[in-house]
Amino acid sequence: MTASRVQFSGEQLAEVRRLQALYPDRRGALLPVLHMAQDAFGWVSLDVEEYVAELFDLSPAHVHEVVTFYTLYFRQPKGRHVVAVCHNLSCHLAGAKTILGHLKTRLGVEVGATTPDGRVTLLAVECLCACERAPMMQVDDRYELDLTPEKVDRILEGLR
Amino acid sequence: MPRLTINGKEVEVPAGTNLIEAARRVGVEVPHYCYHPGLSIAGQCRLCMVDIEKTPRPTIACNTQAVDGMVVWTETDRVKETRRSVMEFHLINHPLDCPVCDQAGECWLQIYYMKHGLYDPRMTDEKVHKPKAVPLGPHVILDAERCILCSRCVRFCDEITKTGELGIFHRGDHSEIGLFPGRELANPYSANVVDICPVGALTDRDFRFQVRVWYLDATKSICPGCARGCNIEVHTNRRRPHHAEGRRVARLKPRYNADVNRWWICDAGRYGYGAVDDKTRLRAPSRREGEAVADATWEEAIAAVAGTLGRLRPDELGVIASPRMANEDLFALRRVLERRGIRRVGCRVPPREPGDEDDILIRADKNPNARGAALLGLDGDAAAVLAAARARQVKCLWVFDHDLLASGWPEASVEQALRAVETLIFTGPNANATSERAHWVLPSAAWVEREGTYTNFEGRVQRFRQALEPLGQALPAWDLLGRVLVALGAPAAPPRAERWFGELAAAVPAFAGLSYRSIGDAGQAAATGPA
Repeated sequence: MTASRVQFSGEQLAEVRRLQALYPDRRGALLPVLHMAQDAFGWVSLDVEEYVAELFDLSPAHVHEVVTFYTLYFRQPKGRHVVAVCHNLSCHLAGAKTILGHLKTRLGVEVGATTPDGRVTLLAVECLCACERAPMMQVDDRYELDLTPEKVDRILEGLR
Repeated sequence: MPRLTINGKEVEVPAGTNLIEAARRVGVEVPHYCYHPGLSIAGQCRLCMVDIEKTPRPTIACNTQAVDGMVVWTETDRVKETRRSVMEFHLINHPLDCPVCDQAGECWLQIYYMKHGLYDPRMTDEKVHKPKAVPLGPHVILDAERCILCSRCVRFCDEITKTGELGIFHRGDHSEIGLFPGRELANPYSANVVDICPVGALTDRDFRFQVRVWYLDATKSICPGCARGCNIEVHTNRRRPHHAEGRRVARLKPRYNADVNRWWICDAGRYGYGAVDDKTRLRAPSRREGEAVADATWEEAIAAVAGTLGRLRPDELGVIASPRMANEDLFALRRVLERRGIRRVGCRVPPREPGDEDDILIRADKNPNARGAALLGLDGDAAAVLAAARARQVKCLWVFDHDLLASGWPEASVEQALRAVETLIFTGPNANATSERAHWVLPSAAWVEREGTYTNFEGRVQRFRQALEPLGQALPAWDLLGRVLVALGAPAAPPRAERWFGELAAAVPAFAGLSYRSIGDAGQAAATGPA
């Protein structure tokens, strides 16, 4: 059932076992293991869900419940970089709309989409807890603060 | 055992009893959706709120265990207001499609809205839309908009069948019940989720749009699908015969029995009633001469059969009875056998394919009364009867229910036996290849068309009641056998199944002391110990 390309390495499997042992019910390790899987396979496909379900001896439906509940699991292929612009209150007042509009123009995609070359996925998200330096966005694992269109251009330059 | 007070009434309950069950014991119904006594506690629907003295706010009754000295009130103004608010939340996105919803009339949203809601709706926004009329599997169809996310179906698949097909996907008011993409809900017990769904989200594809539930009559019965003898209700449609294309049995539903099937039945049993209204039903006695088949009257048929039984020597007579016959039928047959001294009798015919079995309910033996036939001593070697027919020792063979030509016996050897006998008699509700060979066909009523008892594999004797009139001229097997008995010179035969059972209980030690009254709705164990 599981596609052969979906398979953790021996090292990754050892990490899965380590995480599972941390919780009274190994099901507790589902979130970190799904993140591992997303990193390893690029996104959480149905094949990945079934593979993870096997690792936890769960039915795939119960893994699907978790994956659809949270927003940080990508259920479609994502770009090499993820740009998530905050559009919550503080950032909105500080011009997030302009920043988001600028990104859409520069990247040529709508929110939720990935550039045709697979470089960037653009998202709009709720508060990321950096209101004091609004407007802001998250690029992969780092925060980019006090954004201006010029600063956004420089950041995009750096994304390959 | 904790002793507590509910609405002013004292009650003592076993430790661990929750407040819904404790309230039930004093006749108080606490409304609820997600709680089901056969499943784990979810605490999801928030409807079963009750007031407990010395607690600051209403508490869910399902997840609160009775404690000594607890004082519970289920109808305070605060509880009523809470229920009304919870109902309002449950119905916020619920479509107003009761007129086209199969659940209407047995829907707990309708019932509780009328009993506990009755608010003026304040919802002015567009409702959230979700998938509708999605087949989940062969028997169940989903309307996600009607779902209140009680999770009973999810827990059923996790805890009872342990197949885990269903889940609640997405979040907040986008949450919806569903299957893992590409899978289906096809476990052998899948349709139980329809029974436990308190609303119209999961409905039965077989029953859907056939007839409104308020036109149905319910009759207590026993599933004849296997040796378990699950307790069921037969829902019949007699008031709207023009609906459902003349189907008289509209559906079967499980009936709770703590010792047999609890709340469940399998899908094979639930949908196994098709033969009742099938076109293969035998409606009148008939005789065959050569290729010509003609209807006969009961008088002619009984006289002919009794004449043959009386004319031949006992060892020229063979009977293959059926473990599908009720105890009453088998006992009437035994009286006929005794009267003529017939010893060539058996009832077990091997099936062509071995039956499936599991550790939930399903038994490999697909007959409802094999144990009863054994206790009545009719469990002889059926293969030997057939062999005697093949050897032309048996001149008249009487077959009940079985299609010997579709059995596990080699077709050629059955063929040879059926050709060798001078007179083949068939009794059963439905035609089959064997009945087509019969010289005399005496049609018997289907199980829903008469009353009787089956003895399940554990030796539990259980009653099934009459839900419908026999089709055509069919008679209960005990009745036609009684007529044969009288034609053979017996002074009289019992006129009702209950009287036959009385005679049976007096004659067969395993049934000593049992009566229809003592068996009741829950069944009673026969004395099946070493005898």
